[in-house]
Amino acid sequence: MKRLLDSDLELVVESNFIYLPLLFDPEIEKEIQSIFRHGKQTENSEQLDLKTIIKHQDKLFIKALNIHSLIENYEVINACDYNRLRNDCLMKYQIAGEEEGIFLDETLRIILFQVMPHFIKKNQGLVRKKFSDEGILDLINKKIKIPEKYYNNAATFQNLEPLKKILEGLENETLMSTPPKNGILTGRKLRDWFYDAIQVKVLTSEHRRIAQALKVRKQFRQAKPEHIATLLYLSDTGSIEIDGFGFTRHNAYKGEYLVYKRTEGYILKDYYARSYLFPECRVAVSTYSPFRPFVIEKYKHPFLLDHKSGQEICIKDFVPSNELSAKNIIRTLEEGLTALHYGYNGRRRNGYHSLDKMWVHIPTIDFEDYRI
Amino acid sequence: MSDIDLKKELQMDEAEKLLPLVLEIIPGHAAEGLIDIYEPGSYTAKSLKKLCDKTLNKKNLSIEEQLIVEDIKRQLDGGKLLSRGQEIEGTALEFAVSEQTEAGEKYLYIPIRAIKPQEGGLGS
Repeated sequence: MKRLLDSDLELVVESNFIYLPLLFDPEIEKEIQSIFRHGKQTENSEQLDLKTIIKHQDKLFIKALNIHSLIENYEVINACDYNRLRNDCLMKYQIAGEEEGIFLDETLRIILFQVMPHFIKKNQGLVRKKFSDEGILDLINKKIKIPEKYYNNAATFQNLEPLKKILEGLENETLMSTPPKNGILTGRKLRDWFYDAIQVKVLTSEHRRIAQALKVRKQFRQAKPEHIATLLYLSDTGSIEIDGFGFTRHNAYKGEYLVYKRTEGYILKDYYARSYLFPECRVAVSTYSPFRPFVIEKYKHPFLLDHKSGQEICIKDFVPSNELSAKNIIRTLEEGLTALHYGYNGRRRNGYHSLDKMWVHIPTIDFEDYRI
Repeated sequence: MSDIDLKKELQMDEAEKLLPLVLEIIPGHAAEGLIDIYEPGSYTAKSLKKLCDKTLNKKNLSIEEQLIVEDIKRQLDGGKLLSRGQEIEGTALEFAVSEQTEAGEKYLYIPIRAIKPQEGGLGS
């Protein structure tokens, strides 16, 4: 596609479609003659008001791409080039980054305000009271040292003027691109038009985003600066750990997280009631399916098939939900933790492996080094 | 100091039997549970199981406490109460450890988890 746009190849634009020169080939020539002779082309053209093959200055062109479809889907067709064009456009118009993303990230809000309160100590003393979202942010602020720069960013965040100016600037721009006129044009000319059209698309979408961002910032105008600083810190780092509960943003999947709970060391007993001390580990669940508990670290346990990292915990009668909700995340983590801590029965030796050596000839995981 | 050492120390220190007992029943692997306080002398002759039943049947709970009790009962549907990985058979003093508030007041504390069993593996 890029090569086509960078070329001097003559193209035809008609009714918002790009027509490419037809290859000169005897077989194709024969087919074309047959189409024209039988009038199929004319019939189809009238029906659809579009011709598959057109003649222009005695040259034949074949219908290839819809230019609107190309603009709409370019982000998917060539993500790398689209992002380059987008970044150029954002720089040209000095449009701010996406700090407010966290305020719109529903998954993170679920983890932060619904899952985390279940696993961390919130109350002091003997009273049990419900914590508001602000209370949770206060608690994070108390337990995590937020670097100074996020407090500065919070002050910037709460100042709406620069964003308003950008929005006004965008509103003054002509956010429209006229499709090229019907007729012949070179690949390079089409490219110039195409890049303008992409810029219009980016600016239109940025206009929407900034209008939304401004709305969010207005909502948080009265919020405590330390709360904004905490949220900006989370947006930037994408991870946090308090009282052994934590989450971390997934690098490969945008907007997805790994939520985990750290176990402390625990003891399991074998068939002969001998004790084995298991080291701590992190039981996790991802926010994208499958919603099954697994151990992050390299770990061994009767319910893990191997001795390696990222292994799913083998659990009986557990049907993972397809829906992402706080309740399901909590349930999945609890099932995983309970299985590791309390699920193994030394007498029944349930699991992939037995704690005591049972099979002489079948290779299995050895737990002798955990014996106490 | 291990739990066994702590228990021995408790047995030796008769004065500690005069401390109030704080019982916390925690649903699953949550961080916080339902708290109940027993005055000195009110718990010594009773089994820990009985104390737990009494705590779970407490009236006049706040909405937050009622939600915790619901969660505990959900776990106990086929589950059991465990303290430090052991079933709660015996008296409260056998499981209690001595702690103190920020103000320096001593009390005995027993954390109990309501755990719904989860069997893993392939079975036998």
